[in-house]
Formats: sequence, structure tokens, C-alpha cells
Amino acid sequence: MLALNLLINGLVTGCALGVVAVSFQLAYSTTRIFHVAHAGIYTLAGYLAFSMVERGLPDPFAIIIAALICAALGALIQYALYATLERRRASHLSVLIASLGVLAVIQNVISAFYSPNIIPFTSAWRGQMMSLGLTEVQVATLIVCLAVFAAALLFARLTPLGKRIRAVASNPFLAEITRLRPQQTYIIVMAIASAMVAIPGALVAMDLGLQPYNGTTVLLTATIAVIAGGIGSLTGAFALAVLITVLQNLSLLAISGEWSVGITFFIFLIFMLFRPTGLFAQR
Amino acid sequence: MAGHTKAIADLSALGASLGRRDVLISILAGGLASTLPLGAWANDAGPIKLGAILPLTGPGAAVGTQQQRGLMFGVEQINKRGGIAGRPLEITYEDDQGRPDQAVLSFNKFVDLYHFPLIFSAYSGPTLAMAPLATRKEVVLINGGAQSDRLAKASPYLFNTIPVAGDEIAVLTKYLLENGKKNAAILYENDAAGTPSRDDFIKSFTAGGGVITGQEPSATGQTDYRPALLKLSDTKPDVLFAMLTDGLGALAEQLRQMKPDFLVVGTSFFNDPDALKNPGSNGWLHTQVKISAPPELAAAFKEKFGVAMEFWGTQYANAVFIVAKAIEKVIADGALITGANIRKAFFDVKTFDVMVPAVFTTNTAAMEIDIVQTQDGAHHLVKEYKAG
Amino acid sequence: MDFLFSYLTLVAIFIILSLSTNLLVGIVGIFSVSQAAIFGLGAYIVGYCLVNDVMSFLPALAVAALASLVLNVLITLPSLRVSGDYFVVTSFGIQLLATAAFTNLTEITGGASGMPGIPPAEFFGLSFDSGFKNFLLAAIAATIASLWFALLMRAPFGRLLRAIREDELAVAAFGKNVLFAKVRAAAIAGVMAGAAGGLYAVYLSFIDPTTFDLNASVLLLTMVVLGGARTLAGSIVGPLVLLALPQLLTFIDIPTTTAAAVRQGIYGLLLILFMVFRPQGLVGEKL
Repeated sequence: MLALNLLINGLVTGCALGVVAVSFQLAYSTTRIFHVAHAGIYTLAGYLAFSMVERGLPDPFAIIIAALICAALGALIQYALYATLERRRASHLSVLIASLGVLAVIQNVISAFYSPNIIPFTSAWRGQMMSLGLTEVQVATLIVCLAVFAAALLFARLTPLGKRIRAVASNPFLAEITRLRPQQTYIIVMAIASAMVAIPGALVAMDLGLQPYNGTTVLLTATIAVIAGGIGSLTGAFALAVLITVLQNLSLLAISGEWSVGITFFIFLIFMLFRPTGLFAQR
Repeated sequence: MAGHTKAIADLSALGASLGRRDVLISILAGGLASTLPLGAWANDAGPIKLGAILPLTGPGAAVGTQQQRGLMFGVEQINKRGGIAGRPLEITYEDDQGRPDQAVLSFNKFVDLYHFPLIFSAYSGPTLAMAPLATRKEVVLINGGAQSDRLAKASPYLFNTIPVAGDEIAVLTKYLLENGKKNAAILYENDAAGTPSRDDFIKSFTAGGGVITGQEPSATGQTDYRPALLKLSDTKPDVLFAMLTDGLGALAEQLRQMKPDFLVVGTSFFNDPDALKNPGSNGWLHTQVKISAPPELAAAFKEKFGVAMEFWGTQYANAVFIVAKAIEKVIADGALITGANIRKAFFDVKTFDVMVPAVFTTNTAAMEIDIVQTQDGAHHLVKEYKAG
Repeated sequence: MDFLFSYLTLVAIFIILSLSTNLLVGIVGIFSVSQAAIFGLGAYIVGYCLVNDVMSFLPALAVAALASLVLNVLITLPSLRVSGDYFVVTSFGIQLLATAAFTNLTEITGGASGMPGIPPAEFFGLSFDSGFKNFLLAAIAATIASLWFALLMRAPFGRLLRAIREDELAVAAFGKNVLFAKVRAAAIAGVMAGAAGGLYAVYLSFIDPTTFDLNASVLLLTMVVLGGARTLAGSIVGPLVLLALPQLLTFIDIPTTTAAAVRQGIYGLLLILFMVFRPQGLVGEKL
């Protein structure tokens, strides 16, 4: 029974993480920038949704608006910061450090503006129990995140924009020459990825509460899923995210929660040693 | 002494406007000046100056800023009544970011440059780091907030104006065992606040014949308690001891969803407005150090700062009242206001009949500890355990 | 005077840490947010040995330096062969794991409550138990570290590292063992960080996991970025300025509620601004 409960719980949280992983995958495989500030956008989405709900907006609208604002922010970071650094021929390391700086700024602005402490999302309908011991918002998270994942897959495979993005991702140099305008594509990709990550950001916050700094660990786990799943593979990222989360939850049957980080990291090391290209790598 | 302090303040202000190199020079100048023999300063009629080193930024900031408000309020109240033996009280505040090394820097600055005989502090990490220095320099440290048991013996100059966690937990476990609760599970925050309390609970609960069915940590800032709660609930405990300083609101919500069979118990930290707002906290049982400000003071605090006085505000205002009484004694005895004399006064006065009464037979205050239960956002007294 | 000495001791220790981070990040070019973990490892080893009377200061420091060397090499090794971005994850993971270890291995480290009562350093019959003596110890160590760094950079090894930074493939094509050079640099960086940890433990007499967390790593990175990468001057200027910053802020009147965001956010803002407008830092070379 406990195992079943942990499994179900893990599936829900895992799907949310899956969308984080997919969105990161999208941004990373296209722009090649390890955008750690993504964790800040994830966190910010929750707080934005919170502010809007406090003002009386219904939840779905709050999430959508949060996603739009995050999309704009993501695009801004790409346009104003990353593109500028690329123009100045900044080293890869410089971009990484700048991204870390953005993350620190976002987290601390949130902390100052709202509170450094945990803020619970005031529960209304969200805490209603449904079947399988899950609450309404957990069920919503499950469904919405799976839907977002499916949409992302379809988008990448079928739409012209999706194909363009994949083209730019696979060969930026060629893309430049063939007038696919990679820079513009990067901005679009960052906007999409940021909007995408805002969804689990808001949903998980609605379920569990807000905290300015715990996005970092979430992103770390998501990036491990991306790497283990294989760079370029959306399915790999999603699947591994769910798998890692379920394993983390089930590991509680055997050990205490203090080493959850260890489990995740251990998985990562295994992959680094034996299959550094990941499970479903596409290049 | 007043003139000397002003000179240093002037130098420092000058330094701020001049730039880094010049600030270093002014620090050097101040440092050199502070090594000159200065003589007694208690015989001035000037203000009594004390220091406070608190986590005003960083993870402890929400608590630290509230503690600062408590101190400021206490100072205001004292000065409204004419100060300490007619002399106004002044506290200088510094931020240690919750970090032990910054606390040590601030401590040295306060003692070397400003010669404060007494410093208010918070959080066990920084306080423990300052404790050996307090002993060496004979400066009194007042801890009004941290409850780590290590603080009880860290320095003869460290006074804890709040019972340490071990005292509260001793009362809690006694009550639980008296009422037939034999099996307990523990959810604790894995940091300097939570882990020692977990240890205290295990020690005193098992000493009384109780059994610990399981324990799970929560990382600082963690909001997802479900996996831990699922696991602990599976061990079928009578009670769950929840030791969290942050996130009780989220815990209340998740417990509400779970509809557990066990009783949820804790310490003074359960005084959490977010938790109280949530129906999930109905029936929670906890110890409560008898801290409550009289309504007119609480209202005055709320008016001045716009937030409720709550636990930390009351605690630190009370700490000021206690210190004021001790210094009054020193002055009444005709002695210099030094750390050593203030320390002596604490034990001479012993029973402090201030806003929240405290008794000092050791370096830690003994106060009344009650058992209360929350229902619909309010506390109901269940049992009292008097101090001493 | 103790105030001045305590500040300068901290500066000296952070100069050593800055040199270590500079070596790893500035010169070898690895993005590292786990330097605080190595710093912590050194501190806990020395702390443990002194508190439990396992060995005296100098041997403990040597053990700490060795352990830090090994750990740093181990964690950089796999990622030196794979793409740089994988190291980002590794680095974050190591830092988080280290914090978990410091917090949970209570028997050894004292756990979340920290390790108090670390006695002062003692060797050659001298006890370093005052503010001034601690400063002296730290200053001597910082001087040694600085000289080491400077000599290293002037030596063929330093030129090799620079060349690797410019064009790794060309260097490899010339038959130079790129991997070995990077590992050697990581090893030296480890020794410095571990030694700094040991000095920190005896200076403060109390250590806890919060000092060696992710925020500390970010602070170190900021010191290198601000001071300037790859130069000795940069490793000195960075700590000097960033440690003075909170002290300076106290002399100026900023309302404390805003000071919260001001300081923490400032580190992030500095990283961004310097990367965009002055990647070489104040007195360094372009990262």
C-alpha cells in the first residue's frame, strides 16, 4: 500500500518534472546554452500565479498569464543577455556565469518582494481529494503536464516552426547561411520553453506552496533527466524525469529521505560512466 | 566615551563617502584608537549603548527582522518610561546574514570599536561562534531566540532568555506519556534548529518508555512533505512530532488532505499564522512558553510596525526588559556597566518580574511552559507546567 | 584591533580560495560551483582531527589538503573528457551532496548544529590563539599560495594551461597531454581550497554546513569574476572588495528590509554586469 501510494505520488510529481525537463531540453538543444536561470523562471511562475489568484483571478487564467509573462522574460534574457554575449564572442563559461547571475537575481528579488519563507497557496478547491488519494490539483497537474508533453512532441514533429527549430538546433551554422535566422529562432524557443516551464511551476506551487530557492534542486534533477535521456530527445527527457522521481519516492521504502539528492546524483554518475550520450540520444 | 564613539562614527561616515581605500584607513584609525586606554565610561550621563547582531538578510531574515522589531519596541518602551536609571537606551544593529563568520566580524567590531558590554544575538550557529569570544572579552551575549541545547553551556557570558528546546520537549513528552501515547513518529527539519530537537525528543520520549516508530527529515525550504508523511503514517504512530520552523502552513494543508489517525504535536513553533489559518491544524497539540504580551503593548507594536507582535517580537522585547533590569541593578550598586558586572547582576536579581517573567538560576531562563491545543485558529489551554 | 585582524584573516583565507577557484574556473575553464564543498571538506577534516585529538594541526592540514586534492581530481576527471556542460550538473550535484553529507553525518561532523570548540592551531611550540596570531598564520598561508600561483603561471606549466585555453585541439595535436595538465591544475586547486578550509576552522573555532553551501560557491565565483580571472591581482582584489562590501553597507544607511535583496541580489547582478560589460573583471583577463 505504501509502495503504491509512493508510486502514484511519484508519477504526479514526475510528470511535472517531465515538463520542466522537456522545456529545458528544448532550450538547450537549440541554443546550446545551459540556461540555469530556467530554475528562476520556474519559481517565478508560481509567485506570479499566486499574486494573481490573490487578486481574485481564477486559477487557469492565473497560470496562463504567468506563462505569458515568463515567456516574455525568457525571450528578454535571450535577447538582451545571451545574444549580447554571443555578439561579444563571450566564452561558454561567461554565458554560464551570467545565467547563474540571472538566477541569483530572480531568486533574491522574489525573496525580497514576497518573503524568504514558505508561503502556502491558500487552498480552496485545490485540496479536494479525488480518487487514488490524490487531490484535485494533483490530478490537474498530471493531466495538464502529460498534455503539454504531447503538445510539445507534436509541435516539434509537425509544425513548420517546430521543424525550423529542429533544423537550427541540428546545425546553427548552416541555419545562418540558409537564412533560417537562428537568433530569432533562439528568442522564440526561449519564449516557448519559459512558457512551458511556467505551467508546472504554477501547478506545483498551487499544490505544495511557494519558496524562493527550491527551484535549483528541481532544475538539477531535470537536467539529469535531460542528459540521461539523451540530448535532443524530448521523450527521453520526459521519461527519465518520471523515472527518476518515482525512484526517489520509492527509495523511501528502504532509506531515509536525507539522501534523496544522493539517489538522483548516483543515477547521473552511472549514466556518465556507462552511457554518456543518454538513452535516446539523437546525435 | 561618548566623544570617542562620536569620533569613530564621524570617521566611519567620512569613510563611506570617500571610498574603499579611505574606509580602510578609517577602520585602521578606529582600530588604533580603540587600543588606547580609555577609562571608565559608566559614569557618563550619556545613553547606554548596546549592540545587536541578527540575521537581517539571508535565510533567517524573516525571523531576524521580526526580532529586531522586538528589540526596537523594547527600547522604545524603556525610553518612554525614562530609560534605565534616567539614561536612554540605544541599540546598534548589525546583520550577520545568519553566518557564523560574519557574526564574529560584527562581534569584534562592536567590542573593539564601540565597546558594547552586551550584545543581543540570534540563531545558534552565529551565537555559538561568538560564545568563546564573549568569554574571552567578558561581553554578555543575550540569546533570545535560538533553542539549541548547546547554548546552555556555551559560555558563562551567554544568557538565554528563552528556555532551550530541551525544556519544552521535556514537558511535551511528559504530557504525552502521561496520556498514554506510546508510539511516536518524527518529521524534522534537517538543520541546526530541527535536528537537535529531534534528538531531544527521542531521548526524553524513550527514557519515559515510549517508542519511536520512524523519523524522516525535511530539507530547509522543502515544501513537499507527502512522501515523508506517507512513510511515517505507515508506521502507525499515536503521535507525529513535527519539528519545522518554516512550512507549517504547507504541512497543515497536506495533513488535512491525508486525514491522519495520529495526533500532531510540536513546540512553540506551532505558533504559525499560516498553519493556524488552515483547518488542517485543528487538534494540533504543542508546548507554549508562556509568552504573551499584554494587549495594550501588542496593539502598540502592531500600530508601530504594521505586523503582529507574535512570538519573536514578544521574546526580544522581553529580552530588552530583562537586560534593562539587570543594568539597573548594576547602576544601583554603583558599579561600572561592564559585561562582568551585568553578568553578576543577572544572578543577583535572579527573578525578573518583567512582561514575561523569567527566573535565572542558570544561564537559561526558566519560564512557565503550557500545553495548548489549536482549534479553528485559536489556542486552548490544556495543562500548565510552572517554572523552576 | 581584533576587528581589523578578523577581517583581514577572512580576506587572506578567501584569497587562497579565490586563487583555487581562479585556477579551476579562470584558467582551466571549468564552471565550478563546488569549490565551497572542497573548502568544507578541508575545514571538517582539520576540525575533526583537532577536536578529537587525532593529530595536531600541521598533519591534519596535510591530510585535509590531500583529501581535497583527491576529491577535486575525482570530480573533475570524468567531465574533463566529456563536454563542459555535463560538469555543470556534476558540480551542482557535488555541492548539494557535500552539504547533505556535512548535515547528515552527525557522528563525524556534528551535523546541522555544527562543530564547536575547535582548538587553535599549534605547531613548533607556538599556539595561534589570538586575533593577531591567526591573522599572521592566514597571511603567511596566503602569501605562499600567491607565490605558488605566480610561479606556476610563469612556468612552462602555466604557459601550457594558457595554450589549452586558447586552442585545446592544437595543443593536443602537438602531442601535449591536455588531460594531465588539467588534472594537475584541478589537483592544485583542491590543495589550496582544502588548506583554506583548515585555516578557517581554527580561526573561527566553530564550523557548520551553512558556511559551505551553494551560496558560498556563488560568492567565490563572484570574487573571481569581479576581481578578474587568471591573474594574481584579480584573486586578491576580488575577496578584498566583496568582503568589504557588507561592512561598507553597514556604514551607509540602508533600510534593512531592502538591504536583504541588495546584498544577495548584488552578487547576481555583479556576475551579469561584469560578464556583459567587463569580462576581465577589475584587474584580470577575459574569462
